[in-house]
Amino acid sequence: MEVAAARLIGAGLAMVGTIGAGIGIGMLVNGAVQGIARNPDASGDVQTNMILGIAFTEAVAIYCLVVALLILFVG
Amino acid sequence: MEKSSKKWRYGINRWLILLFVILNIFFVYYVYYPVLPHIALPAENVSQQFLSLPLFGDIYLTNTLIATLIADVILILIAIAVNRAVKSGNLIPKGLPGAIEAILEVINNLTETTAGKWSKNIFPFFATITLLVLIVNWMELIPGVDSIGRLEHVEHGHPITEVISGSGIWPLLDESNVEGADVQEGEFNLIPFVRVASTDLNFTVALALISVTMTQVFGFRALGATYFTKFVNVGGIFRRPVFGAIDFAVGLLELISEISKLLSFSFRLFGNIFAGSVLLFVIGTLIPVFVQSLFLGLEFFVGLIQALVFGMLTMVFMAQATQGHGEHHEEEEAHA
Repeated sequence: MEVAAARLIGAGLAMVGTIGAGIGIGMLVNGAVQGIARNPDASGDVQTNMILGIAFTEAVAIYCLVVALLILFVG
Repeated sequence: MEKSSKKWRYGINRWLILLFVILNIFFVYYVYYPVLPHIALPAENVSQQFLSLPLFGDIYLTNTLIATLIADVILILIAIAVNRAVKSGNLIPKGLPGAIEAILEVINNLTETTAGKWSKNIFPFFATITLLVLIVNWMELIPGVDSIGRLEHVEHGHPITEVISGSGIWPLLDESNVEGADVQEGEFNLIPFVRVASTDLNFTVALALISVTMTQVFGFRALGATYFTKFVNVGGIFRRPVFGAIDFAVGLLELISEISKLLSFSFRLFGNIFAGSVLLFVIGTLIPVFVQSLFLGLEFFVGLIQALVFGMLTMVFMAQATQGHGEHHEEEEAHA
């Protein structure tokens, strides 16, 4: 049972890394929305780049998630 | 929506939804209470042994492979329908072909604004990857996917009484498997016949490999052998030793970034969709009434975004590969 408990704790700790991605996505969207508010004509371009940036940032969070899932369900 | 159809439909839909909610509550609490399915990372084998090849060993028919084949069939059917609509000579397609045209137009416009003259070559990859991943992701929302399958005897599972609920309604199960085993003591798991293909790393890694490999091919076709000086940059190492060495190190970093593209492509799609299906499993068993519908809406959105992101990143990387250092600035000026 100790290994199982360590697994749960480890998975929880792995997800701490998503804090960074959360901050990152917040800053990203903050910048994008300000840009769109100042120049609504550019909203299409800004949105595309924003989604790309979010995808990159989110990938980091997803790594944490994958690690957590691996800890939980593999082995 | 037009006003006339909205008037009478709204009244009926309201009662239909209420009826379904009541039916849902009735089924969940009196007929069949859902159990948390076994969550496994690798795809399960549906067949005992499918093929035996000399080099690759035994190949099994996994449930994610079945899902991929189904998605392929759906794509081919859509292609046939669109082809028929185009051949009919009607310039304004209606229904499904119209929707596909709208999607492809958006994708084509995105490609043309980013990739410029290479958009004709890059567009097929963007469109194919997006459509395939979109269909594969949305299969998660279909009832029966991930939930219809056969029961298999395993070490850590649910007791058979819990899985079947003793009510006459059970998943399509292998009768001999259940009757042969000791019904009271054995533990069983459901092996679904169809499981979302994106929850299998084989699928996502294959797509990522195609994407990254074709990026290199496009880069080579556009720039010739000079494309590879991006990775092994020894040009300036004798003329200006310090900056030349830095350029060389940056080239190595580019090489690493290509490999990390592979990782991030595959794990992004896999992680999102796998986590999504785990979320649906858990919510479905915790609160089986109504709440899962909200999460189905979330998964609908996530599936769309991930398909778009996978395709869009492929397109952007390919476009970047076709543009050399000098050419890039010229094109930007031409656009402005």
